[in-house]
Amino acid sequence: ICLRFCKSAGCARGFKQFILYSECVLCNRFIMLTIFFLPGISSNSVEKKIYVNLNYTIPCVRLLNATHQIGCQSSLSGNVGVLHVLDSEDNLEWVLNSGPNPPYLVILDYLLFTRAVMMKLKNGSNRVAGVAVVAPTINPSTGFSPHTTCPNENTGVYVEDYDPAFAHCNVTVWNPLGNGLSYEQFNFPIFSLKDDNETQLIRQCYINHNLAVNNNAPQYPLCAMQMYSHMSAVTDTSTCMRRSDKNSFSISPEMVCDPLGDFNVWAATRPLNVTSKGHKMWESVVIAAARLDSRSFFFDIAPGGESGVSGFVTLLAAAHALRNITQENHPNRTILYTLFQGETFDYIGSSRMVYDMQNDEFAVDLDNVHSVLEIGQVGFWSDSKLWLHSDPVSRKNGSINDELAANQSAIPVEEPGFSQPLPPSSFQRFLRAHPIPGVVIEDHRSAFTNRFYESMYDNAEYLKVSYPSNMTQEEQLDFLTDTAKSLTEVATMVARTLYLQAGGAETQLGNINADPQIVTRMLYGFLVQSNNSWFQQIIPSEWISHLELKLLYHHCYLPSSEATFLVQYLLANLTGSIVNITQENCQNQREDQDDKESKHIYTYMWVQGTLPLNSTERHGFCVRSTVHLSKAVSPAFHLQEYNSKDYSTWTESRWKSIKGRIFLVASHDLEMLTLGVGFGVLLTSLLLTYIVSSKADILFGSEREPSNATY
Amino acid sequence: MNLERLPNEEKLGLCRKYYLGGFALLPFLWLVNVVWFFREAFFKPTYAEQLQIKTYVKRSAVGLLLWVAVLTTWITIFQHYRSEWGEVGDSISFTIPLGIP
Repeated sequence: ICLRFCKSAGCARGFKQFILYSECVLCNRFIMLTIFFLPGISSNSVEKKIYVNLNYTIPCVRLLNATHQIGCQSSLSGNVGVLHVLDSEDNLEWVLNSGPNPPYLVILDYLLFTRAVMMKLKNGSNRVAGVAVVAPTINPSTGFSPHTTCPNENTGVYVEDYDPAFAHCNVTVWNPLGNGLSYEQFNFPIFSLKDDNETQLIRQCYINHNLAVNNNAPQYPLCAMQMYSHMSAVTDTSTCMRRSDKNSFSISPEMVCDPLGDFNVWAATRPLNVTSKGHKMWESVVIAAARLDSRSFFFDIAPGGESGVSGFVTLLAAAHALRNITQENHPNRTILYTLFQGETFDYIGSSRMVYDMQNDEFAVDLDNVHSVLEIGQVGFWSDSKLWLHSDPVSRKNGSINDELAANQSAIPVEEPGFSQPLPPSSFQRFLRAHPIPGVVIEDHRSAFTNRFYESMYDNAEYLKVSYPSNMTQEEQLDFLTDTAKSLTEVATMVARTLYLQAGGAETQLGNINADPQIVTRMLYGFLVQSNNSWFQQIIPSEWISHLELKLLYHHCYLPSSEATFLVQYLLANLTGSIVNITQENCQNQREDQDDKESKHIYTYMWVQGTLPLNSTERHGFCVRSTVHLSKAVSPAFHLQEYNSKDYSTWTESRWKSIKGRIFLVASHDLEMLTLGVGFGVLLTSLLLTYIVSSKADILFGSEREPSNATY
Repeated sequence: MNLERLPNEEKLGLCRKYYLGGFALLPFLWLVNVVWFFREAFFKPTYAEQLQIKTYVKRSAVGLLLWVAVLTTWITIFQHYRSEWGEVGDSISFTIPLGIP
């Protein structure tokens, strides 16, 4: 089996496999050597015979900040361990102490993916080669949050010199369920596996080969797994940024990490000239903010349903509700919709926008900001109430109280009623720079309602975005879920408040209503299926392939993520207007040939439009809006202050391959025996050759005199 | 080239060239010198130039040992403390290993 097909490039590996793994033990060493020198023959079937590659492996990756590295990594050649399926916490004893074949690769049920178990594994890491967590198909009934209990503890406004009483979540622990696993450093790889056929195969392999009978050591060959997730960066951000520096002395400089970053999306109800930066005379803006990003322990699965989607979908719906009225009857102040990226990682997006405003790099500056209204987590308000959070320190000053009082009529919500600091929110970064009045709308009075904050379970199911079975995709897209209905109510409230806050007339409020259809479609798009007919209509044709990814939420990184891109187009379509200009002018950011001014004020987007029935040709159109992107990269990287205490310093390590595979491994003795026999054959053949060569004249006759060696 | 076939003067010339060349921070020339001429210097029946060759080989060997000592010490120190030196360590490295401090 091993012998027939071997590619020259794959041969070294094939050779090693032969020595190491039992499936090939019967192969003849001599033939292997022959194969070793046969070029151009494929070794794929050898590999297939030995390994089962896992298709769905989501890693935990390494992140770094000014002082720490967090996350996981394998060695360069992958971590190999004998499989052990952990079914209860007591079973850890086998892995950590008594098991005879360390290191072990532990397969965990998601219920055992707790801080207690993970910390035991971490501390016994010389016996642990890696961990694979089997993700459930339905959410756990208890809470789970791998985030910290006090998110963004040190980069919000509540630091020691602002008010020591409020620092470090002294008054309210916002995320009491947080176990901090996402901020631990593990010396072994941790993967997430889907509960499917592959996981069944792993379990079966374990049962067949590794199960200890009556506590006796299982017999070789054993089922083993290998995980590759080697991370290039190490130590901290300043180290990895230094090593990524192209001007370094190193002969082969290689990027080892990238600053986390993306783009903020913003739009104004009244066009602002974006080319002229800094303070704008007579301009007063009300900022309506929400956050776009989310995180989980594993790299790719961060749906952020309640923590992100609920808030920004509400904001988008409110922006849409205000479209007509701000066009016909604009209030005194401009409303600025801003969606911040990277807020999970010490407020990357908002800190950058504030920094840009302070340094005249943004269309307005902080003095232009009248007030801030931020929408936090609002997905569960229907069960309870909505709560208006504001900053107790600036409330003491009095000025903000009046602003709040003026708006009480519009929002049937309550204030927490005691002196409580703001929950983690982008608004904190504004307060940190300038005492601006503002509120944060949340569905919780003190600690989060969200039981799955920044975890993979904060998904559509948790937000109750579910559809009756037997519905087609198109029907689901337009099906009004209860969550959509309740978020529509929030959006209406938010829109009306914004209108009042911007100085609009109270008589107009009845005309401001959010559209539940839009809300339900957005929820479907962001939480269930982004590749749907509505999203397809409102984006340019060349971006269609970006819709293939079902889950939108990632760590943020450049270039912009799918979420940023989608929200950008959504905001444009929901707040902008369709203009009748040609595709060429549209793509060149102008109304007509001579127009050189519009591009400073508007953004023109050519989107592909609807697909009429019985047609393959879409009717594209041009959307004119005030939507712009602004950089969401921490100012620490702009200033090259990698030890910054004020700004986010998070970077993400680069890696080359993430993969996992299972195979049978032979006992150490057998491996050594095979290697020994191999060496024996080699030495024998060398000796034989030497003897034959030195006795050549006897063996092959003496017709030819051995010529003298000349060099 | 076969040393056996070389006249003795040329052997000496060659040995001297290698010996002198080693001073241009090329310890490998000294290594080659020692290996090549060791037999000539110490095991061949005496001939006129042998004494000189012997001197060159000895000196080459001493120089080589010195180099080996210095390099071993430096490499040990460098490998051990590179990560502790931080920026300095990185700035004097040609290649920086991935994924380790």
